[in-house]
Amino acid sequence: MRCTIVPPHILERVAEADDPALRDIARRSLALSSGARAERHAYTVRPAEPNEDFVPNRTIADAGHKETLPGRTVRTEGGRETGDKVADQAYAWLGTTFDFYEAAYRRNSIDGAGMKLLSTVHYGKDYDNAFWNGHQMVYGDGDGTLFVEFTGALDVTGHELTHGVTQHTANLDYYGQAGALNESVSDVFGSLVKQWHKGQTADQADWLIGQGILAPGVHGEGLRSLKAPGTAYDDPKLGKDPQPGTMDKYVQTYRDNGGVHINSGIPNHAFYLVATSIGGHAWEKSGKIWYDTLTGGKLANKADFAAFAGATVATAARLYGDGADETKAVRSAWKKVGVKI
Amino acid sequence: MKVRVVRSGGFAGVERHGESDSDRDPVLAGLVGRVDLGALPPPGRIPDQYQYDIEIDGVGATVGETQLSGPLRELVHHVLGRPR
Repeated sequence: MRCTIVPPHILERVAEADDPALRDIARRSLALSSGARAERHAYTVRPAEPNEDFVPNRTIADAGHKETLPGRTVRTEGGRETGDKVADQAYAWLGTTFDFYEAAYRRNSIDGAGMKLLSTVHYGKDYDNAFWNGHQMVYGDGDGTLFVEFTGALDVTGHELTHGVTQHTANLDYYGQAGALNESVSDVFGSLVKQWHKGQTADQADWLIGQGILAPGVHGEGLRSLKAPGTAYDDPKLGKDPQPGTMDKYVQTYRDNGGVHINSGIPNHAFYLVATSIGGHAWEKSGKIWYDTLTGGKLANKADFAAFAGATVATAARLYGDGADETKAVRSAWKKVGVKI
Repeated sequence: MKVRVVRSGGFAGVERHGESDSDRDPVLAGLVGRVDLGALPPPGRIPDQYQYDIEIDGVGATVGETQLSGPLRELVHHVLGRPR
């Protein structure tokens, strides 16, 4: 069942209307309102009943190797398999990610109110990327030399969908340290979806992002490692994983929106340290600390690493007590990666 | 004219570099005159999209993937196809 009473629901309906002009205006308004922090926190989502079963509303579209969105709809919720393994995999992983957020955090979709999930597959030609454009997920098939289909890895879908969750909650600016936190949160929950799906504990997980999307012959285990940032790949064609795991190796750059995919290694590693210190299923206590910090409404959208670290300590103290082992684990992890609280 | 392009960002965060000189590259020579880096809006900050730093004879601009169209798009892909 879908939660209702989200004030922008009218806009959302118009955003899906047939009239393209109306639709564009509504979508722009929605994008603007999702960026307006004060307004966003005034939204009240009706609390879900304790046993309410959330049901995803998925749509998969095929871009036919063009770069036009969203493309032709090939499968909608409950629809039959298409026979295209890329489209069907995208549909399945969307469902798994939706179920993870429901099971772990009682979240009903990206916006917490049953938002429609739209993914476009077969985007572009030899396109080595996947992204979240503010409304939907988009996946390339890879060029076959460096990368294969980005729909293959569950954590890629978890990563992209979490960009949507972040947009609807803390809305971390996609630049500099706030941007690296935005990236890190997507990696953390991307990895947690995979761990949840496999039923793994923190010590059993591979803590890799993008395992399985590197083309055969490329030297690497994946694209990023939360366990050991900077070690995921080292390949003549791809280069070497540039991620630092500690503040003394922080990379100052204007490229990549201020190194958002590089410096995310630091908060990524902090999460790994918390999860392995607390032990057990990482989505339970460690993930809950990160999730509540992200969605609690107190985090500034320009938060730097220190502000985020302080907020995770406060969340842990609220959930488990100031002197609890869990809270100590969070303090110790940030100290180890060199972030002063 | 010397043209440099750096692609950064994307889900993978893997950088790509390319460079060419219009004096020795007739295709590029046909494109540079049709591109005005000064007329570009600031790049959008869209999670995991590519970011392109383009430099033509020392004058640079940063653009997002969605802003690449027409001759600028052709120029970027042409130069990135010529690794430095």
